[in-house]
This record gives sequence, structure tokens and C-alpha cells, in this order.
Amino acid sequence: MSEHPRADRHTVALLGNPNTGKSSLFSALTGTRQKIANFPGVTVEAKIGTARFENSEVTMIDLPGTYSLAARSPDERVATEALLGRITGTPKPDGVIIVIDASSLDRNLYLGTQILEFGLPAVVALTMMDVAESRGISVDVEKLSEALGVPVVPINTPKGLGLDDLKKTLHRTLHHPGKKLELDFPEDFKRGVDTLHELVCDLGVKLGYKPARPEALRLLVDGSGPFFEECEEVGGQDFVDNFHAIRDKAAASRSLSMVEAQTRYGAIGNWISTAKQTEAREGRTKTDIVDGILTHRVWGSLVFILAMGLIFQSIYAWSGPLMDVIDESFGSLGDWIGGMMGEGALKSLVVNGVIAGVGGVLIFLPQILILFLFIAVLEDLGYMARAAFLMDRLMSRFGLSGKSFIPMLSGFACAIPAVMGARVIEDRNTRLTTIFLAPFMSCSARLPVYVLFIAAFVPEQEYFGFLELQGLVLFAMYCVGVIFAIPTALVLKKGILKSKVTPFLLELPSYKTPRPKAVARVLWDRGGSFVKRAGTIILAVTVLVWAAGYFPRSSEIDEKYDDQLTSTQGFFPDSVVEFDPEKDTDSLLAQVSAMHTKTNATVAELEEDEELTTEQLEAAVEKAEQSLHQELKAFGRQSPKHRLALVEYAEWVEYQKEVGGIENERAGEHLENSYLGRVGHFIEPAVEPLGWDWRIGMAAIASFPAREVIVATLGTIFNLGADEDEESDTLRQVIQEAKRPDGTRLFTLATALSIMVFFALCAQCAATLAVMRRETNSWKWPIASFLYMTGLAYVVAFATYQIATALGA
Amino acid sequence: MQTLDQIPVGAKARVLDISGDETLQQRIVEMGLIPGAEITVVREAPLGDPIEIKVLGYSLSLRRAEARCVSVEDAA
Repeated sequence: MSEHPRADRHTVALLGNPNTGKSSLFSALTGTRQKIANFPGVTVEAKIGTARFENSEVTMIDLPGTYSLAARSPDERVATEALLGRITGTPKPDGVIIVIDASSLDRNLYLGTQILEFGLPAVVALTMMDVAESRGISVDVEKLSEALGVPVVPINTPKGLGLDDLKKTLHRTLHHPGKKLELDFPEDFKRGVDTLHELVCDLGVKLGYKPARPEALRLLVDGSGPFFEECEEVGGQDFVDNFHAIRDKAAASRSLSMVEAQTRYGAIGNWISTAKQTEAREGRTKTDIVDGILTHRVWGSLVFILAMGLIFQSIYAWSGPLMDVIDESFGSLGDWIGGMMGEGALKSLVVNGVIAGVGGVLIFLPQILILFLFIAVLEDLGYMARAAFLMDRLMSRFGLSGKSFIPMLSGFACAIPAVMGARVIEDRNTRLTTIFLAPFMSCSARLPVYVLFIAAFVPEQEYFGFLELQGLVLFAMYCVGVIFAIPTALVLKKGILKSKVTPFLLELPSYKTPRPKAVARVLWDRGGSFVKRAGTIILAVTVLVWAAGYFPRSSEIDEKYDDQLTSTQGFFPDSVVEFDPEKDTDSLLAQVSAMHTKTNATVAELEEDEELTTEQLEAAVEKAEQSLHQELKAFGRQSPKHRLALVEYAEWVEYQKEVGGIENERAGEHLENSYLGRVGHFIEPAVEPLGWDWRIGMAAIASFPAREVIVATLGTIFNLGADEDEESDTLRQVIQEAKRPDGTRLFTLATALSIMVFFALCAQCAATLAVMRRETNSWKWPIASFLYMTGLAYVVAFATYQIATALGA
Repeated sequence: MQTLDQIPVGAKARVLDISGDETLQQRIVEMGLIPGAEITVVREAPLGDPIEIKVLGYSLSLRRAEARCVSVEDAA
């Protein structure tokens, strides 16, 4: 079996600097037929897709954007290894598309020269011609092509220009062997590369592959990195000694990297002198003007703070209507399916386990999408680099870099892309610190927890007419992680992760109009992966938690409560016991019940009305109740039978209350007797100081694999065995009314704050820990992260509860 | 000797040499800051560091500590 799909099927790699429009070209060529490629051992992401060229299909590999093939880390070496076809599961490219930004031709060609040395058939796709023109730069495509020795095709992906030409040119090029670019490096340097190439080729058998000459060049210049380590491992001290001797000889007076850069930029300068014309333009570019504001001392900082504030307020305010829709749909779905099923374990599993669980998680999709919408737009706009520029000074005080800011900000959406995004930081120690701190940022999975508890326990109040108390508490929760991340960073950087230099060289790309397609793709990818999680991990955990909370089903408990039910029924007349307002609509009792239902509905409607003040609401409710009273009075006057119906109704209400009480006790005893309940009881002494009872404790345990599960778990815990009316209540109301055995409310503001703080700091995400392990290549970091964060969460939640209680919350 | 971090905002300079840590040097030269390259200092960040420069027609941001590794001469 071959890894290559078909012998006649070509593979083409896409390479280029960051911000060149490489990814949108990839999307334009492959459409929706793309997937993320997993490269073993590294964290950089590449996409693999299929493009249709003429009559054949071509596999496209979109490699991570980079300025150079210099490789000091395994991630930076991915491009080289992919070009040489050394990555398992990824076919060897038969050609390359080098994406070059015409507005920054010199620097883009630097990477170009490195790629062309591999001698693969290549086509240059020239992007941003319009940007170049607006800056007075005109590029002579033919002259550039002549100088480089490969075809150059100008393209404009958003307008779809040049794509057909690019495909045709590439198709032609693939059928001819590529030409190796040979730059005029100094003799000493060339000899050094050749000698080193021989040396590493001798190690070829032990390495398992024959190193290419450009790899020897990289090894010579870079001096360290993964390739050096590989050679050192198989070649031992002999290799190291020879290597240093060759390096010393190759570099006469200048450093090797200077020799490389001067030779490459020298060649580029010669080509460009004929191919590029720059006409001096008066005035500043659009980007300069915008930057004058966005990176301004005062305005820039102000815009930054406002932008961040806007994001938090809007994910809170905009998502409401969408969340209601999702909530209601899942509620009706549960009722509809539940109505078709018989009572028992299966119905409980489907309605209380699966539907309630998945619905309870999916409801937070709108917030995640809004957050990612902001991140994607800012990224596409080019603002993220400015944010790094603005924040570097601040971040470097904590031993981080401005580049840590982007992963950290993504951490507010999800720690997984944040941990992976930390690879843009060259310095290993800064990178590890960023990875360790990323989970402290409040990710979107924590948002459900905050939203639920804030809505349930923080009063709705406004300050200055626009600051909502609930929004402020949400903001405070986001700050908790940051507040604890800072001292953690300082300790890490002063201690185990000390480093001398942390380079911060960051291109500030020109501003671009965000492309709706690119933004939509990010939303689709992120939303999709969240839904997949909801459908897989979270569903599995939900069902597991449901089962742990449902079994073992003790028949003794059922018998005990069945007996109680029978004896309660004995106290009430049959007409009361058998009355069902859904089925019986004619009797006098039903008429009384209908009057009450109608008034209750009116009152509920009034309470929903946000425009009413508290006094207005009270007055309106009183009025509604008085009119009900009048109606009932008039009703009772009609006949003794009518009067009897009024008495019967009061009895029926009493009966319902008693039955409800019995059923709740039954559910409670079943749950307490369940496996989950037993675990909860076991850890209760440990969580009591946090203001929690065994139910919250077991919900926290159940949410260790993925923290958003707590919402589903609480839903399951408080809904299990509940009767119809309670089931239609929202989770918020259910937890508001949850009681301890002594009748006091289970959740007070202090308990809610303690839970939120715990979730803000706890490392409850199996996926993040797994990514951390992959990123750092060791279990040390995820284990340290888990122990540290869980311990911290416990201590801080304890302090929060004790202080809040002392303050009377 | 004059280094890039001493160049005032708005002024132009020409690169003479790069010094300092090997990895940092490589990063700097790869981004186009090689001897002879012309640089304009565009602005500094609100907190005074890093600075933004124009080189080879694009905008690059680097820290003052890194700019100190770039020795320059004034250019008109």
C-alpha cells in the first residue's frame, strides 16, 4: 500500500511569508475540500486540500507562513521536512507555489531564494499587486520571472483574477524538472556547506534518510536546532567536533547568518533593480494614517481598551435572543420525544441525559461565535499585530512578549489554540511560560458557568445608565485568571524559565478589509469543533454522569415513596386526586384552575417586561391578583357547587404540593444513593469550606474532563426524576430554588462566587492538557499545570467563600 | 557608536553592523536589516517600547533592547 493516493496525482506545497494571502489562495484553489493535517511531534498546523487542475486533481499542502526556513525548533523545521517529503502521511510535493507579496517584494523573496534552492518545480504567485501600485511600486512580472528562473503569475484572490493562469502555469511546470537556484555565496561558505553536506550524508544510514544540500546549508548557518540534535544523536562527539571545525572555517570575519542574509539580499537587490520600479509618492499610505490613530499614545490605548471592553459586553448582551431560541428548541424537543416514550430508564437517559445535556452545552454556541467573530475580524484586519505592539512593554514586564498577547487573547476563547499559538514565540522559555499561563485566561467553556451563576445570583443593576452589574461581575471573572497569571509568570521567569534574550521582531502588516469568507471559515471551524465536542466528549460525559446518577435504582426507595403516595391520595377526595387540568377542561374545578392559570401567565408576562420599574410591576401584579379575587368571588356566588369547586381547587393545590414534595424526596434519595452521590458524599468534607454541598462537589468532579460539562451535569442532577412542571423550568430557576436538607438555599451569592472562581482557575480540560503535552513534548508541563491550577483554584475559592460570607453575601 | 534605539522618531538611518546574540542576529538580518539597509523610525509604542521602523518598504516592530544591537549611521 502506498501513502500516495495515485501515481499520476500531483502534490503541490504552498509556501510564503505570513500575511501574504497564502491561506485565501489555498481556500480559493481547494474550496471546501480541505482538512487539517496532523504532523507528528509538532504543533504547527497545515491544511491539506484537493484542487482541480485542468482534468486532474492535485493535492495541495498549505504550510505555515514563515519568513525563513531557518529552524531552531521542530516547528520551524516542518516546512523543510514537508518539502523533502519526510513527513509520514503527507505526500512528497512534486512542486511548490511560492506566494510573494508584491508590496514587500524584497523580504518575501528572501524565503523564495531558500525554497528555490531545493530545485522543485516552482511557480511564484504574486499577490497584493494593488497594494503595491497604491504605494507607487510597479513590478515587471516578466523581468522578475527571468531573474528568478521560474514563472511568475500575478493573482488577486478576492477578485478571482489570475487563478486560472496560475493553475495552467503550474500544470505545465509540474511536467518539467525544476531548476536549482544557485546563489553566489562566498567560496569559504560554499566549501563549508559542501563539506558539511558530505559529513551529514555519511550519517545518512543512521539518520534513515539522505540529507539534502539545502539542509546542510541550514545546519551550517543555524548552528543548532532539531537537525543538529538529530545528527549529534547519531554522530556523537565526533560529529560535533567536525561540525565546529567546519563552521569556524566557513565564517571568516562575519557571522554565518550575516553572510547568508547579505548574499540573498544582494541577489534580490540585483533582480529587483530591473524588475521593480518605485516612484516616490507624497503623503502617507492608508495604513500609516490608521496607525497614526491606532498606535497613538492616547488614542491607540483608548481604542484598545474600548475594543476589549466592547467584546466582553457584547458576548454578554448579543447572545441572549439566540440562546433563548436554542433553549426553547431543546426544551420542546425533550417534551416531544419524552411524550412518545414510556416512563423508565430509557426515557430518563434520552430526555434528562442526552437532550438536556447537549442542549445545555449548545446553548453557549452563540457566545463562542461572537467571541470568535471579534478575534477573526481583528486578525484579518491586521489589528492583532498592533495589539502585540501596544502590549509588548506591559507583557515583557511579566517576562512575556507582545507576541504572547495574541495567544493569551485567544486563550479567552479557548486554551487549545492559545497553547498552539504560542509557537510564534521563538524563545523557548517565554513560550513555555505563555503555554503555562494560557489556561488561566477565561476560555469560552468557562463562560457558561459564569453566565449561569451570574444570571441566577447577581442582581440586575445599572450604574451610570450603561454599566450593568452582571456585566461587571463577568468582567471581574475574566480578571481573576489574569490576576493570578501575573505572579505565576514572574515566579516562572525568575526561576526555572529564566532566559537571556527574547527576540520581538514583528511585522506590522498593512491593514486589510476583513474578508467575510475568511471570517466565516474561522467561525465555521471553531463553531464546528465546539459542536463536535458537544456531540462527542461532552455527550459521553453527560451520559456517563447521568448513568452514575441514575444507578443503582433501589426498589426499596421506590416502594417506600409509593406507599407514601398511596396514603397521601387516601387523604384527598377522588375528584381532587384524579383532576388533570390538561385533560379536563369542562368541569367547574377546571374553570377555577383556568382562571388561576390565566392570572399566573399575566403575572409571568409582567415580570418579563423589562421596561417596568419595581413599583409599577408590584402595582400591576396586585391589580391582576385583585381581579382574580373578584372573579373567583363572583364565581362562588353562582351556586353551592361552584363554591365547592373553589374548595376543591385549594385542596388540589395542596395535593399537588404534597405529591411534588414526595417525588422530589424520592429523586433526591435515589440520587444520593447513586454512585455519583456516593462519590459526592465522600468528598463533601473537602468541599464544605468552599460553601459547596455534595451535589456541587460531584458536579465539579464530573466536569474535570471538560469544564462546560458542569452546566449539563447540574441540569442532570437537578432534573433527574423531576416532574413535568419542573422540567420545563430553566436550569437557572432550578438552581435558584435548590435547597439544602435543612431547607436553606443551597446557592447563595457567596457559593456562586466560590464556584465561579474555582472554575476560573481550575485546569478542567483534558484536551488542553493533551495539547500541552504535545506542545512541550513532555508530561511534566501538563501535570504541573493540573496540580498547580487545581490547588490554586481550591485555595482561592475557599478564600472567596469565606470573605463573601463574612461580608454577608 | 550610534545604535538604532537612539534614532529619534521620524529620522532616517543606515545600518552598519549587527551585534549580540547569534540567534537574535540571525532574526534581525533575515528581516532585512543588513549593512547598507535604509531605515526610518516611524514611532514608538504608547509605553515607549517597542519601536516601529520602516525597512525594505514594510513596517517592523522591535524592542529597544534589540535595536541596540543594530549600529547605524545617519542617513539623509
